[in-house]
Amino acid sequence: MTDHTVKAYDVELQDLARRISEMGGIAESMLASSVKALVRGDNMLADDVIRTDSQLDVMEREVNEKAILMIARRQPMAVDLRVIASTIKMAADIERIGDLAKNIGKRVKAIGMPFHQQSLVNGVTHLGNMAQERLRMVLDAYASRNLDAALEVWRHDDDIDALHNSLFRELLTYMMEDPRNITFCTHLLFCAKNIERMGDHCTNIAETMHYMVTGSALTDVRPRAGAVPEADAVSGSEHD
Amino acid sequence: MTQGAAMATGQTPKAKIEVKNLNFYYGESKALKGNSLELLEHQVTAFIGPSGCGKSTLLRVLNRMYDLYPGQRAEGEVLLDGKNILDPAVDLNLLRSRVGMVFQKPTPFPMTIYDNIAFGIRLYENLPKSEMDGRVETALKGAALWNEVKDKLNASGQSLSGGQQQRLCIARTVAIKPDVILFDEPCSALDPISTSKIEELIDELRANYTIAIVTHNMQQAARVSQKTAFMYLGELVEFGDTDEIFTAPREKRTQDYITGRFG
Amino acid sequence: MNPIYASRRRSDLIVRGLCFGAAAFGLSWLAMILFSLFWNGLAGLSVTLFTEMTPPPGSTTGGLANAIVGSLMMTIVGVAIGTPLGLLAGTWLAEYGRYDRLATVIRFINDILLSAPSIIIGLFIYGFIVVPMGGFSGFAGALALAVIVIPVVVRTTENMLHLVPNTLREAASALGMPRSLVIRRIAFRAARAGIITGVLLATARVAGETAPLLFTSLSNQFWSLDITKPLANLPVTINNFVQSPYAYWKQLAWSGALLITLAVLSLNIAARVIGGERTRK
Repeated sequence: MTDHTVKAYDVELQDLARRISEMGGIAESMLASSVKALVRGDNMLADDVIRTDSQLDVMEREVNEKAILMIARRQPMAVDLRVIASTIKMAADIERIGDLAKNIGKRVKAIGMPFHQQSLVNGVTHLGNMAQERLRMVLDAYASRNLDAALEVWRHDDDIDALHNSLFRELLTYMMEDPRNITFCTHLLFCAKNIERMGDHCTNIAETMHYMVTGSALTDVRPRAGAVPEADAVSGSEHD
Repeated sequence: MTQGAAMATGQTPKAKIEVKNLNFYYGESKALKGNSLELLEHQVTAFIGPSGCGKSTLLRVLNRMYDLYPGQRAEGEVLLDGKNILDPAVDLNLLRSRVGMVFQKPTPFPMTIYDNIAFGIRLYENLPKSEMDGRVETALKGAALWNEVKDKLNASGQSLSGGQQQRLCIARTVAIKPDVILFDEPCSALDPISTSKIEELIDELRANYTIAIVTHNMQQAARVSQKTAFMYLGELVEFGDTDEIFTAPREKRTQDYITGRFG
Repeated sequence: MNPIYASRRRSDLIVRGLCFGAAAFGLSWLAMILFSLFWNGLAGLSVTLFTEMTPPPGSTTGGLANAIVGSLMMTIVGVAIGTPLGLLAGTWLAEYGRYDRLATVIRFINDILLSAPSIIIGLFIYGFIVVPMGGFSGFAGALALAVIVIPVVVRTTENMLHLVPNTLREAASALGMPRSLVIRRIAFRAARAGIITGVLLATARVAGETAPLLFTSLSNQFWSLDITKPLANLPVTINNFVQSPYAYWKQLAWSGALLITLAVLSLNIAARVIGGERTRK
């Protein structure tokens, strides 16, 4: 895109983008760490994740302040206005991802001790990896302003949903097999739900990016496996 | 979070001009009522307020432009680097060479583009032709006009477009190396593109000068300044960081004015 | 049609017709004057008009050489004296004395002088110069013309300087330019075309003046370049010759009148052209 006559404006816009990427990087590593802490029962790592979340909160607040100031000072129009408004939304999504990772960290601490059956967490690891991949992809798409890549993330949200559904069934099976697994598996269920929600936020970021780049909202109905996923019917739907 | 050039280099900006309890009279009527504020070095200070609030009057005190007219007088103190410029003993021409001014309407002199710049320089320095050429070029470059006029330096200054004329006037002001530049609604006669160019220029000039700008357009004040002063009926209602004034002003009157709720 | 509107249209037509008629009437006289001048004057236009002296009574040869030169001398001297005085006074009125009460008085007096009948100015010079100096002279004539030039130049100079926008003066002062320099280098330059136009118009005005020369320069039958003596000039010569019974003198008078008209016309055109340059950016 051509530069603004007022160069400081461009500097500020670049600064906003850089902050989003930075926030995204932190959220990505929080997501990875939280799953790792869960799998390993690593309380220290979980503490780390919980601490990092406040850092992300501060960064979100800063992005919002900067964006508001830019609206006040630069009176952005058209694409600039969309970029700045979108930045605020994306920062909120990323911050939510951080919150969800923190929540997993808290659960790790609630579970307390390392567990024995590695097979129970395989599904969650897999789901976590998938969500992390989604987040990485959408952040890359944002950094390079690559709308197609972002839409790719958006189209494949149902993969995570599908995996989450099957994981739900899997964990139910474990609980039925051995009632001693119930506490742990319930925690895992909530963690899985959190990860699935992170995927939703990635989808949101992709949608926001679509608006940012094109100026119109994504109106297509996203391809979906079922009308209401089984897991949502159980854990209460707050689907965005 | 002001990002003045001085801040960038890690120093606290120091006050270039201190206005202390300034009153101003047009004949019997009082136009400024006890204004006090500071213009910080390397910062742009914007003055906003409805027509007749005294913002232009205040600006015209800073280079004593009002002295051209009888019946106008100022009371109080205006310190430029600590020296009171309201002192009757002050040499006005010298003062104005340190405190330059750019006006609402572009005012190119009736001479060539080159002479428009060289004229001011000749007032203070006797330069050989080659050196003068250099100074003219530097000034025009400083005003982001060089590329547009370098092939027609001998054309009349009045043949330029409005925006170019205004940048010529800025170049003319910059050429005599003042410390402070006062802008009196510099963009009110210009189109949006020319306006952005001037705004960018003001932002660049900040690195080397202390700048005050009066503007009717408060959005412009938000865009170009680090400090903003809101004036009303000759009073300085609020003076503070531009970021604060335009997002969370302290005074209700300021809020009403900038949000368009002014009664 | 709406009756009010119809009656308005009628009165518009009538007024328009009257205005056109009046303009045509006035212009037709001007056209007739020019026509008769050219008709009668062109007949006598020849080289001898510029080379030979005014003839004695009854002669059928001779020209207007001494009168032309005398007129040129007096006009040039008169304008040369009047212009600087008028310029300075006009400058004072527009620049330094702008807010001075004295300026109002001076402007008023200048306006009186501007509209004073030229014969009174002739009388004034007669009383103050001709009588004390003991005789008519070209110089006295030039002085009388200068007195006519001054108020015209004062007026145009002041008006033209007033037309220079104040912002230009402020801009120059804002560079730290002293007042005198602002006036000389900026205001004068901006008003230059207008001021020159004013001087040209003043010249045109005095070129055809007769009355102030009657009691000052008088006239002279013979070739003379001595400005301290009576000097021949076109207007007075025309005045004298027209009243004479000799046909050749009358012819010379017509030709002289044509010469003056052409000179005034070209000065006016020149003033137009210069003045037009100002408005053409």
